[in-house]
Amino acid sequence: MRCEECKELIPAFMDSDLPEEVAAPIREHLGECDDCAAVCEDLTTILDACKIEPSNNILTPNSEKMWLRINNVLEHEVKPLASMPPPPKRRFWHVSLAQLVTAVLAIAALSSVVTIIAFQYYRQMGTDEFSARLTTQSSFEKFLGRFGLIDTPQQARERRIKEQQATIDYWNARVQTRRLQWDSRTREAFDRNLRVIDDSLNEYSTILQQDPEDELSSEMFDAVLSDKMNLLRDFSDL
Amino acid sequence: MIGAATSRSGLRALTKTTILLSVVFLFALSSQTAAQKRFSRNYPAGQNVRLQLLNRTGTITVIGWNRAEVNITATMDAPVANIEPQNLSGTIVINLLRDNPGREVGDVNFTIRVPYYSMVDIETKIGNLSVTNISSGLVRAHISSEGDITLTNLGASAVAAENVMGDIFFDGELAAGGNYRFSTVSGTISLRIPFSSNFKLIATAPSTRNIVLGAFVNPNMSFLGDGRRVVGKWGDGSATITVTDQRGAIQFFRR
Repeated sequence: MRCEECKELIPAFMDSDLPEEVAAPIREHLGECDDCAAVCEDLTTILDACKIEPSNNILTPNSEKMWLRINNVLEHEVKPLASMPPPPKRRFWHVSLAQLVTAVLAIAALSSVVTIIAFQYYRQMGTDEFSARLTTQSSFEKFLGRFGLIDTPQQARERRIKEQQATIDYWNARVQTRRLQWDSRTREAFDRNLRVIDDSLNEYSTILQQDPEDELSSEMFDAVLSDKMNLLRDFSDL
Repeated sequence: MIGAATSRSGLRALTKTTILLSVVFLFALSSQTAAQKRFSRNYPAGQNVRLQLLNRTGTITVIGWNRAEVNITATMDAPVANIEPQNLSGTIVINLLRDNPGREVGDVNFTIRVPYYSMVDIETKIGNLSVTNISSGLVRAHISSEGDITLTNLGASAVAAENVMGDIFFDGELAAGGNYRFSTVSGTISLRIPFSSNFKLIATAPSTRNIVLGAFVNPNMSFLGDGRRVVGKWGDGSATITVTDQRGAIQFFRR
């Protein structure tokens, strides 16, 4: 039974005017619902008071004052309601499970299509073009780089140098131990070639300090760094 | 009288000096010949032949011939190197680093004749490399440091030549779909190819900006990065040529 129905029937219930099949659910509801039970108790108290007090003690109702009080009560109850914040709006991210699943599936399908298209595009390109493209940054990547979301060309280069420096140090240490056994001609040839490579590296470093976004110099810098690594590695087993 | 005596003694002195110098020269020549050793070996070759050679110092000359046979000859300077070629199911492997671990050896100069259809992969630390008359799937010539690379009369579909200091010269035909890669840090790269060739080109000479396309100049070739790189297409662009010369010039010639 709903509270509204119960509250409507409470006066009749207290006067025992209801048949048992209607009264039984009210009784059951009053046992469970504190709110309706309180209403019932209030009515009982009022009825008891009416029965106890002699009728002459009861003040003659002053309809004007009574309506004034009623108005005051109503205003008192309405104002807090008006000052209460509006009920929270339904947020746009409050989505149902079905909507969530659909969104995830849509994202997965979209990313798969983009990946397939990109893969096919790169496969059609020649290997060199592909590697050349890998070494350059798109405008979008540059844009992201400016906001620190991805590495700038300079940061990427510094990271690569750091990574390769460890390898170079390793091969260089091996070369230093082996070169004592080389003849003078081999030592001279090695030093000469290493000098040429280092000159190139210095040249590109200078260019890149002036223009960090010079992609061609960056690419060449990487190529010469790789040459240096190969030279050290090749001579480390002599 | 005095003048005649002086003339005779001068003649004798000259004769003595000549004889002495001749003896010294002959001795030096014979000792040098004795210090040099010669190595020679032949292998029968099948249809799939591959030569894989890793030298330390010295020249390597590979010549393609019309025989199903591999002929290896080498002259070795002192201290003489061990050479122990292996024939692994058609691949002739010569590795002087493996054959002479931890010991210093003199120059080894190889001349190797292989069937013209052989794949050739040669490498040395220091010294010149030369490959001629080869029409196969692969020619690779790698010098770890300095030396010239000369590739002539080639018809291979994949060619790679790289060194640090030294010139690279390629004279051959480009196969459709072939890949040709030439790289040096300091030297001149010269490519002589037929006018009827079809290729895509990426040529980079960042220091000198000296890229001479010769007869292959056309509107499809673009100079990029202030002339440091040329990218473009010649013909239908079926082959790919990548040339990188860090501190030297790149030249194209019509064959």
